[in-house]
Amino acid sequence: MLRGPWLARADRRVTPILFVAPFFLIFLVFGLFPLLYTAWISLRDWQLINGDGGFVGLVNYTKLFADPNFYNALVNTVGIFLLAAIPGMLASLGIAALLNRPLRGATWWRTGVLLPNVVSVAAVGLVFGQLFGRDYGVVNWALGLVGVDPVDWQASTWSSHLAVASMVMWRWTGYNALIYLSAMQAVPDERYEAAELDGASRWRTLWSITVPGIRPTLVFTVVTATVSGLQLFAEPQLFDTSGVAGTGGSDRQFQTLTMYLYEKGIGHYDAGYAAAIAWVLFVICAVFALVNFRLVRRFVGHTR
Amino acid sequence: MTVSRVPVSIFVVLAALSLVVSGCSSAAPAASAADVDLTVATFGEFGYGPLFAEYEQAHPNVHVKGRVTDFDTHHKGLATQLATGRGAADVVAIEEQYLPTYRQSLDKFVDLATYGAKDLQNQWAPWKWAQGVSGDHVLGLGTDMGSLALCYRRDLIAAAGLPADRAALAKLMPTWQAYADVAERFAKATPDVKFADSAGTIYTAMLNQAPENYFSQVDDSFIADRNPNVRNAFYLAGGIGAKGETAGVTPYTQPWTVAIKQGSFATIACPAWLLTQIREAGGAENSGKWDVTTIPGASGNQGGSFLTVPKQGKHPKEAYELARWLTAPEQQKKLFLSAGILPSEPAVYKDPQVVAKTDPYFSDAPVGQLFAASADTLRPNYRGLRDADVRPEFGRALGRIEQQKQTVEVAWPDALQQARGVLK
Repeated sequence: MLRGPWLARADRRVTPILFVAPFFLIFLVFGLFPLLYTAWISLRDWQLINGDGGFVGLVNYTKLFADPNFYNALVNTVGIFLLAAIPGMLASLGIAALLNRPLRGATWWRTGVLLPNVVSVAAVGLVFGQLFGRDYGVVNWALGLVGVDPVDWQASTWSSHLAVASMVMWRWTGYNALIYLSAMQAVPDERYEAAELDGASRWRTLWSITVPGIRPTLVFTVVTATVSGLQLFAEPQLFDTSGVAGTGGSDRQFQTLTMYLYEKGIGHYDAGYAAAIAWVLFVICAVFALVNFRLVRRFVGHTR
Repeated sequence: MTVSRVPVSIFVVLAALSLVVSGCSSAAPAASAADVDLTVATFGEFGYGPLFAEYEQAHPNVHVKGRVTDFDTHHKGLATQLATGRGAADVVAIEEQYLPTYRQSLDKFVDLATYGAKDLQNQWAPWKWAQGVSGDHVLGLGTDMGSLALCYRRDLIAAAGLPADRAALAKLMPTWQAYADVAERFAKATPDVKFADSAGTIYTAMLNQAPENYFSQVDDSFIADRNPNVRNAFYLAGGIGAKGETAGVTPYTQPWTVAIKQGSFATIACPAWLLTQIREAGGAENSGKWDVTTIPGASGNQGGSFLTVPKQGKHPKEAYELARWLTAPEQQKKLFLSAGILPSEPAVYKDPQVVAKTDPYFSDAPVGQLFAASADTLRPNYRGLRDADVRPEFGRALGRIEQQKQTVEVAWPDALQQARGVLK
């Protein structure tokens, strides 16, 4: 009789913790520990092959903040992120709104938009790299049909950013559209009925009912897109035809922060410097995510 | 129930018996040699497949497995394997341009001198042996070498009204300046076809003919700004690139492969090992269109590899024995005759059979003679410890010239400044 309530109480207290514990254990091992270990490496002179060369304090960071290539990579990263994220998210919204209407073969369409996300990034990078080829690329061939001179896509900043952003959009637009779609289906029908009674147009309904209705989901996708966008690596790295030896073009015109980290850490074997880049990138991601979170909350008005 | 018990117990007895029997039978040879598994990591084409089988036949207790990845993945992978202390193969090939990097981490590699590698010294051309040694530490045993020649498309050269004959073309371009002049003539005659693949290839070949590049032989200081060889090579190669006489494709990339297949350029400075890559890129339909002749300027070496034994391996002695066997003259000769991999040992590259070899894909060019002849007059080329960090900056600068983003006069100081930034 005495053991019953005690066990029940323990069950109520401990069981939930046990259920969430695996996540925190895994996060500890693969998330928090590497984070702290990277911070420790970034304070040391650490060559990849030879290992620890002693404590150097903030030297890696002061070098980094005086490094023009770092700022170049930062500008590229943010530029490609904006170029990919804003049109990508708008396109996702549009696709989701279309899919949210009664459609013939709805499942087929919904699966279809997810397909690009299922394809391996490496394959996407290689295929797009060839599509945007200077001499024998399909894009230049198509441009040639309408009388535009062939573009050396890798050579200049705007064209390379555009090409890389198109890869990112290709991969994520459909995926985000599906997330929006699931959120849209949870928006109560009464609101739409009310809007219809008020004589709102379809366009007005989208912006005044649907978008505010899926606000939490919008915030979620904007934050995840920010984090993954600022860590962009595989697409631009593979867009450089020199592959793993590439540094984002002859003038680093599409080198992102993660690519610069890779160049320093794996190319020049300077693990301490690479760790410093990683930590600065972490802080930038956190700040950007926070700012975007606030922006989205402000612009997409409160409904609840 | 009782029925099923009988077979089970029989099985147990049999299993126990077989254990005892096998234990006895394997005990006797184990005293002489236990089974050894060796992995050999290479990149590109080393032609080792048949040799592994041959080695296993001669050493029944040794099992050799090859692991082939592409050039950059291989060397970057080795760095992380050495850093983490696991995952490296027992025998690892290192290409010459990566040697200075790994020379800074000698403690991660077995000193092959402890197994008597120094007795083999005279097997190799002296400069080849020297490249694989750091002080008293023998880091690697030489495999192939990369004597330079010039590969060219006979049909494209002839179409531009230039002599397609080997000797005549070589005579027309004894120096790189002459090469640049011919490039201009070529561009005027056939503007749709480029003369060379990239300014970077010309530049690299010229540097490989110079005794010093970016760093001083004396004290390893950065001398790119003072070394006339670097500046001349940059200006000459950059000049050809600026005029749009190169195809602007980086070697070994996908556009480069396509350019070879489509016949977009007519000449390329080719170390011996490049012939295989041209053959693979060009495919059967381009067979007989290529030819090989003497390179402008002096002879030079570009690339070539070494077999090393990382310390983390379980069987360093057996790994050394395998590396020694793979780089022995008999095997080098076999590799040249079967796969066209140029030997780095005088006894082999002067062998009449080797000298007599021709290559049908390259219009029966006497490749044995062409590459062996230049091997003998080779001057070793000094690379600084940080050569690999600095070199890409100059390659990128030439790329900017080819893309018409910078002139040679702007790109040169820019490259120097970037290189200094890397060294800071």
